Amino acid sequence: MALSGVEIFKHLPKTNCKKCGFPTCLAFAMKLAAKQASLDVCPDASEEAKSFLGAASEPPIRGITIGVGDKALKVGEETVLFRHEKKFVHPCGFALAIKDTDSDAEIDAKAKSVEESEIERVGQHLRVELVSVLNMSNDPAKFAAAVARVAAAAPSAGIILATENPASVEAAMTHVSGKKPLICGANAENVEAMVNLAKYAGASLAVRGDGIDAVVELTEKVVGMGFKDIVIDTGCRKAKDMVEQYTQIRRAAVKKGFKPLGFPVITCAFNDDPYMEQALASVAIAKYASIIVLSDISKWKTLALMSLRQNIYTDPQVPMQVGQNVYKVGDAKPDSPLMITTNFSLTYFIVLGEVENSKVPSWLAVMDVEGLSVLTAWAAGKFTAAKIAQFIQESGVENSVSHKELVIPGYVAVLSGALEDKLPGWKITVGPREANALPAFLKNKAASA
Amino acid sequence: MLIIGERINVITKTQREAMQKRDKGPIQEMAKNQVRCGAGMLDINIGPAEDDGEGLMDWMVKTVQEVAHVPLCLDTTNPAAMEAGLKAHDNTWGRAMINSASGEEERLNCMMPLAGKYNSLIIGLTLNKQGIPALAEDRCAIAAEIMGKAAECGVPMEDIYLDPLIMPVPFSQEKSLESIRAIRMFKELNDPPMKTVVGLSNISNGAPKELRPLLNRVYTALLMYEGLDSAIIDPLELEMIQVIKTTDILMGKTLYAHSYLEM
Amino acid sequence: MAFVVPKDTYNGRVFEVEIGTGAKAVKIGGENTLPFLTFEGEVPNMPVIAHEIQDVLPEDWPETVQAAYKDVSGDPVKWAKHCQDNLGAQVIALRLLGTHPDRQDRSPEDAAKTVSDVLAAIDVPLIILGSNHAEKDAQVLRAACDAAKDRNCLIGKAQEANYKTIVAAAMASGHKIIAMSDLDVNLAKQLNILITQMGFDKEKIMTDPMSSALGYGIEYTYSVMERIRAASLNQNDATMSPPIVNDIGMYVWKVKETMASESDLPAWGSLEERAIGWESTTAVGLMMAGSDLLIMRHPKAIETVRKVVAELA
Repeated sequence: MALSGVEIFKHLPKTNCKKCGFPTCLAFAMKLAAKQASLDVCPDASEEAKSFLGAASEPPIRGITIGVGDKALKVGEETVLFRHEKKFVHPCGFALAIKDTDSDAEIDAKAKSVEESEIERVGQHLRVELVSVLNMSNDPAKFAAAVARVAAAAPSAGIILATENPASVEAAMTHVSGKKPLICGANAENVEAMVNLAKYAGASLAVRGDGIDAVVELTEKVVGMGFKDIVIDTGCRKAKDMVEQYTQIRRAAVKKGFKPLGFPVITCAFNDDPYMEQALASVAIAKYASIIVLSDISKWKTLALMSLRQNIYTDPQVPMQVGQNVYKVGDAKPDSPLMITTNFSLTYFIVLGEVENSKVPSWLAVMDVEGLSVLTAWAAGKFTAAKIAQFIQESGVENSVSHKELVIPGYVAVLSGALEDKLPGWKITVGPREANALPAFLKNKAASA
Repeated sequence: MLIIGERINVITKTQREAMQKRDKGPIQEMAKNQVRCGAGMLDINIGPAEDDGEGLMDWMVKTVQEVAHVPLCLDTTNPAAMEAGLKAHDNTWGRAMINSASGEEERLNCMMPLAGKYNSLIIGLTLNKQGIPALAEDRCAIAAEIMGKAAECGVPMEDIYLDPLIMPVPFSQEKSLESIRAIRMFKELNDPPMKTVVGLSNISNGAPKELRPLLNRVYTALLMYEGLDSAIIDPLELEMIQVIKTTDILMGKTLYAHSYLEM
Repeated sequence: MAFVVPKDTYNGRVFEVEIGTGAKAVKIGGENTLPFLTFEGEVPNMPVIAHEIQDVLPEDWPETVQAAYKDVSGDPVKWAKHCQDNLGAQVIALRLLGTHPDRQDRSPEDAAKTVSDVLAAIDVPLIILGSNHAEKDAQVLRAACDAAKDRNCLIGKAQEANYKTIVAAAMASGHKIIAMSDLDVNLAKQLNILITQMGFDKEKIMTDPMSSALGYGIEYTYSVMERIRAASLNQNDATMSPPIVNDIGMYVWKVKETMASESDLPAWGSLEERAIGWESTTAVGLMMAGSDLLIMRHPKAIETVRKVVAELA
């Protein structure tokens, strides 16, 4: 979002003194709007003008970090509304809610499940990053005890101190000292106390208001107290409200430069129906939430949510890739078929899926072509006979495969002659063009072997 | 980009005579042709029309909109005729556009209030009593005055189309670039950006006949790149329409498909 | 600083397309704003879900979803009635998979008979889908169009390789068309142009951008959809204004996540819930990008998506 020339002009001296080198203040304002000049060249610019222009060049949504170390979660710093405009910057974080009224065993088990939530998908490590400890008891001591348990059982997780009772925050603080927790949060009544606690603890602070206007009032107050590490919660918990409010907030911050909403959003997807909780969290992932709190992280549920998050936050310009390797599919033996394909993750998944569907154990050699599909890689000169030959020769595939027959994708049938030249002793067989013909192809091959 | 068809005007012999005789035929024929070729709005230029300007404008608006279901750009310096046109205009397919107000006080003061009264769009020419400014920056200063008057008259910024005025390249080649710069600067005067318009064919005024279409087309592409929102042109010139469509594609304003020229 | 709701204004709108006849006819699309943003526009019709059935037993469907229809899926008529009467289906999608040359290779005539039989048994709108074999589909869908005359069905899918026959057949029998291209917004536009250049009414088309399952390319479909919708609403591009249909069941129920047992992959959790959740999450994700019509399989996934739709109204 750029300030317009006219808006900037309003803050200039309007003397047309020409000391900046431009004929009029309006002309200078236009240059500033186009970022082709700096306010420094105006000797008469006021302090107000300087701070106004300075604020305009900060990122539209503040970056907030929760937790420390290599598992810390950073959110915010987003600049667009649509992933096809520009990659979304920081994937949202997931938090598991644990009540301080749960039994010790339950708290330990839940915290442990967060600590052990990590899975690997397409070369990335995905996890539930945070625990939100809910002060259901409203008892500072009980809260502190729960926080201590969680911190011990889930040392990698960032902690959210979910309470509106400043005394509870104070009690629990020692157990998360130096760990950059999120205090969730401040409301109209406790805001001063909470801001002071947040400053003292080096924590971020979520502000909770009923709707956008209430949140705006609160963030302005907090910023006025000299604190900016804010996360916002408008209290909405239903799909429609999430879509509307979070769209309005993102637009206001990114398109209108509306500073009071220039902060990451936290939401809860709680629902007694686990499929609905999964669905609500999906809505929140797509629609701009930065932290999503869940009541339960059953593996089946979070697998889908972590995949959706990964997919939405992928850089549209950079294809996802898998590692170059010879993969064993099923109980492949030395005489099992050997196929080659490229390392674009979609290609890999689709081909792998079809090979698995065929129930014919096989070897799948996946070659690094910088994440392009078969045809694109071939057209770009990355999937050529020479390069394929080199990959096969250097892959060590002879250690797993006893024969010398390589099945190549049907779309690059033209390479078979050249490949046979470059891989002496190897037989090149042309496979199907479409992956969904692989099961039939492999079954026929097995039958005629 | 919005194409405003320029072929219905007092300067063209057939159109002028049709206006004088109140002969619907040639006018309606030309209106339909321009719309068929892609005009989203039609300029109705009756000139100063000192003799029964109101009657003529009223008749023109009704005649044209009878067969062409598009909004009209009312082109006259006669304020009474302008008002008659605004009254007669059918807003079903879009609001009328006043062509034009300018930085010249008298003109600004009589045209801008009409835009407020009839809730119409309005073209603002960035010239004043001293003429057309040399620099883009000075055109911006006049634009700011026009915008100020608009605010006074309750005309929203989104309804103003700023025109930097184009000087013919055969006589003032160095000025061609200045008008292009002005389009870029006008856009920056407000958020959301101000809208812009030009009377395109003036760029080639005075050039040999066979060169005019080429100069017009290329200049259009350059102006579109800097943010031109609309242009008063001859929509029947097929190659010009093709250049406009192609530029829209190259600038990502229209989604590409192989058959984009046929759309 | 006072907060002013930032409303966008749009220049275009999504066409409203009606399928089916009589009291149970269903309208799809018609919105003039981005998905569900009623604070700045109108959404006259919420997304609709069609229950998928097939003309032959779905032996290749994963166990989780086969089980949901085990008593009815041997007979398309029984299956259709079950979806309409017991599951509250608003729309049924009949996939003529049996006509694929690599499957039972059923003839166009046999397929047409199945279509007639199913139509006789239901009064909700019917979507008729080929087996996705371009050449065979042209013949099969032509026969199906004829058999379904006067029922205002949605016929799919017309693709670059076979659209001429299918569009001509749909025009002759008064049906609507699904136009599908390969995950490319420019190709999607071109196909819609080619179809309208045949004289087919642009307001009788639905665009299928080619769906992908969660984890297997959903983001490609998602962004193509957002770009299609932007062209329609922001650029008033009539060729991109047909409503969007997502045929997700066929992509979701092929992926490992809907089939691998928990004992094989303990990190993935319970199979049945995982599989159902995979379909509903794919659907919800695509609804955020502008899906107007979803073709789905598992009743529990459909139930979840319906609840979400109700909450988005």
